[in-house]
Amino acid sequence: MMTHGLSTRSVVLLAIGIAVLVALPLLVKSSFAIDIFIRILLFSFIGAAWNLMGGYAKQLSLGHAAYFGLGAYTSTILQIDFNISPWIGMIAGGVVAMLASLPIGWLCFRLRGPYFTIATIATAQALMLIFLKFRDFAWGAEGTTIPNLGSAPLMMQFETKAAYYYVALGLLAVALIITWLIERSWIGYYLVAIGEDEDAAEAIGVNAPRMKRDIYMISAFLTALAGTFYTQYIYFIDPATAFSFNISIEAALVSIVGGIGTLWGPVIGTILLETTSTLLQSWLGSSIGGVQLTVYALILMAVILWRPTGLMGMIDEARHRFAASKPAQA
Amino acid sequence: MKRTRKDSAGDKAGQNHVPSRRQSRRELLIKTGGLLAAGAFGAVPLRGWAADPVNIGALYPTTGSMAQIGVGCVAAAKLAVEMVNDAGGIKSLGGAKLNLIISDVQSDTTVTRTETDRLITGNKLSAIHGCYASALTLIASEVAERAKVPLITGSSSDQLNKGRTYTFTPFARASQFARAQLQMSKLVSDTPKVAVIFENTAFGTSTSNGLKELAPAEGVEIVMFEPYSAGFTDASPLVNKVKSSGANALFSVSYLNDLILIVRTVKQFGLNVSINGGSGGFVIPDFYKNVGKLAEGLQGVAHWNHDVSDDAQKVNTEFKKRTGEFLFEYAGGLVAQTFLLADALERAGSADPQKVREALSTLDVSSGYAAMAPGGKVKFGPDGKNIYGHPVGVQWQDGDLASVFPKEDARKPLLKI
Amino acid sequence: MWETVAQAVINGLLIGGIYALVSIGVTLIFGVVKIVNFAQGEFVMIGMYISFFLANQFGIDPLLSLFVSMPVLFVIGVLIQHFLIRRVLGPNDMPQIFLTFALSLLLLNLALMLFTANYRTVHTSYSDEALHVGGLYIPVAKLIAFVVAMALSGALWVFLHTTDLGKAMRAAAQNRDVAMLMGINPNRVFCVALGIALALAGAAGSLLMPFYSAYPFVGQVFVLMAFVAVVLGTLGNVIGALIASLMMGIAESLGVQYVGADSGLIVVFAMLLLTLAFKPTGLGGGRAR
Repeated sequence: MMTHGLSTRSVVLLAIGIAVLVALPLLVKSSFAIDIFIRILLFSFIGAAWNLMGGYAKQLSLGHAAYFGLGAYTSTILQIDFNISPWIGMIAGGVVAMLASLPIGWLCFRLRGPYFTIATIATAQALMLIFLKFRDFAWGAEGTTIPNLGSAPLMMQFETKAAYYYVALGLLAVALIITWLIERSWIGYYLVAIGEDEDAAEAIGVNAPRMKRDIYMISAFLTALAGTFYTQYIYFIDPATAFSFNISIEAALVSIVGGIGTLWGPVIGTILLETTSTLLQSWLGSSIGGVQLTVYALILMAVILWRPTGLMGMIDEARHRFAASKPAQA
Repeated sequence: MKRTRKDSAGDKAGQNHVPSRRQSRRELLIKTGGLLAAGAFGAVPLRGWAADPVNIGALYPTTGSMAQIGVGCVAAAKLAVEMVNDAGGIKSLGGAKLNLIISDVQSDTTVTRTETDRLITGNKLSAIHGCYASALTLIASEVAERAKVPLITGSSSDQLNKGRTYTFTPFARASQFARAQLQMSKLVSDTPKVAVIFENTAFGTSTSNGLKELAPAEGVEIVMFEPYSAGFTDASPLVNKVKSSGANALFSVSYLNDLILIVRTVKQFGLNVSINGGSGGFVIPDFYKNVGKLAEGLQGVAHWNHDVSDDAQKVNTEFKKRTGEFLFEYAGGLVAQTFLLADALERAGSADPQKVREALSTLDVSSGYAAMAPGGKVKFGPDGKNIYGHPVGVQWQDGDLASVFPKEDARKPLLKI
Repeated sequence: MWETVAQAVINGLLIGGIYALVSIGVTLIFGVVKIVNFAQGEFVMIGMYISFFLANQFGIDPLLSLFVSMPVLFVIGVLIQHFLIRRVLGPNDMPQIFLTFALSLLLLNLALMLFTANYRTVHTSYSDEALHVGGLYIPVAKLIAFVVAMALSGALWVFLHTTDLGKAMRAAAQNRDVAMLMGINPNRVFCVALGIALALAGAAGSLLMPFYSAYPFVGQVFVLMAFVAVVLGTLGNVIGALIASLMMGIAESLGVQYVGADSGLIVVFAMLLLTLAFKPTGLGGGRAR
């Protein structure tokens, strides 16, 4: 799944894309639309973080919410109890998540396949339970709101939505760059090898346990950053939101639908799912519960049954077919 | 995997246009896509009517785990707005009608955050009411506070009155429920030994904290004080614990599904405790529907009941006609809230949210639908609390809820079981 | 004091029977088909709604409705295996995990659409009755559920060990390729496995109906416990799942009594994580992979 090298065409496209993305909040007035963009950027970011481990190395974690929550709580505790800026708190949260990924990884990587997945689910749930129960250091089940500081960029609070958009855009850019670099390097090769057949990879000399551990740390770090951002954006944190199984699902879902183990997969998957979600909300009104997720589920099933490589797989196939048909046209 | 799901679709703000089935799907796609794109560029207002009416936002969970209640709340909200409009609307604004803009918060904290924001930024709102569950209302009030739009709510968490100037709570607070529950326990027994079990989110925690603090002063002994995680498979361990505590009264601060299980399990164990189900899931028709005769005689506390005044009974009758069930606590309360908003709008003479807030802060009513509250009076103090606010004790009698406590508010005598 | 403990143990045991029905289904599917069925809880939910419908419309007691819910779910299981699962069986477990997960999402939200989130309760004559034995209370409905659950588990064990089809299933579980060489049609065996597993889930649903209310999310609550039991008892090991379920029911009950009412789940998770840490294959022995 290697991207093409930096051909001129790619660079130009990328530059145009970046320009559009940067200009978007200035052109679009609707706060509702910007909210959607922020969601897309944020979940693409979370998906990309997950993708490093789940897409390339095929370690299917459904417990990434653990790191999301750890990041969220770390920065919030630092902010409310010690008045430390969430910008610093965000990094601190990332570090906490990295450290947490070590024992969790040790525990979970002893298992393979669905065992691994179940173990990751269990760890996220366990963290949620812990944060629900212990109110002394983290407000327990009630959670807390972020104090209203009005416009305080240094404390990651902005009065305009556009500012949040740019932060999210920045985060996504970081994740994509990291993914791109990894993809093109020996790390990427090794991860894919582990993902395809861990035993075979080890047989040819890949230090699988160490690579899994390292990529898990990176994945956890990034996911934690998202946790901080999210909390700052919705002004609220509680264990159910921070360690929500939904987040773990979404992280994996967007990557699978968009193209597991590809650079743009998570982005495409997020765009598809979020747009579908919004369209459904406007088509169907509020009287029928469950419709949106039913459609999500159907999309997911369709992708799994007919296009397990996700949308990126479809795009690649289409591209190859197009390229293959070209000589015939000349 | 215990999952909370985000379910379903919210109401597109203000869009009352239903696509005709005759349109082809393509047309619909193009139209919706176009509308969304246009809306995104701010070119087309996503509502379809003139600027004259006054917009009131309503945020309730009509899908997700709290859907039954949310749906009832929305029905009551619509009824209330109709009542105000039929009576002539807001006269000081030239008879302007109230326009209710409803949004589904899907029983989810994140959705509440984004929906509140969307509602406020997508419409010129004069005020909002919502969201039933304290955890959700807390978030909505944060957003409303920053956006400087007044929020009026029946949610009981005491946190709602802290550090805010745009949140108004006409009804009893969680800490007041606690005192009422304690006092009611003395009606049933001279030496109440109470086991308190509560769900461990905002709702359960604030109420139960109040219980713990006030018990000694009220002369009530708390023999067990236990938070639990809502949504258990079996209430037996919990009830077993209650039994071993030697309690003769059980206060359960729970949402509906757990309450059903608890009440049934208590019966299975033949445990002889008087149950006071507090508020929440206890004081809605669904409770009786699922628990049946076991509910008879069970006591609770509510911030509103449909026998609080003749006006309330009138609204109750109309609500019953529309939905087939009696007007429950939160729904009735929000009808009163709508009238309170109308009163504020009248005095403010403007739909500007900040002027409405001013008018709310100087509100003082003691008659009419706006005053449908235990005690019949509403006046807000500087922290947004109603200085006359207090809860009523209620009891299930013959499949309906009757107010039985305190004496001034009792409409029927307390049945001793 | 001993009375409290004994009551706690009984409570845990009784609900453990239900966990067992759900977890045996999961473990059977894993052992034979080698996939994890994340949707098992939703099949319990379907069983509950079937029983509710029969009770509500025709006045049929939920226990009798077992004779409807089990066959219906058996057929559903066969169909799901034949049309859905068969297509994703392969070396890569990503599609399998997400397929059953998507199925779970689908069923849950379909139920939400069709039935709304309202709770549905059935009251039978014995719903709220309990037997008094010494100072102990044994709720009748739960006792019946336990007995039937054990009977079904026993029947399953007999099936697996004495009938040809059962032995074929065990053979396919142990080594699919050799089994195929011996003439066993894997798809047929898988269909039966899915059918049985879902029938057990449906049975759990019907047995729950007298004392538990039905609503779309009800499966989630039980499936969590079931999964822990499956891992504890070793994936694929039916007896392991049974014993683990009972143990967990008891652990949860004692946890609530002596640690705290919000800690029942923590105790269970602690059991799970400890087991994973020190005996990842589960207490039932066997291979991890």
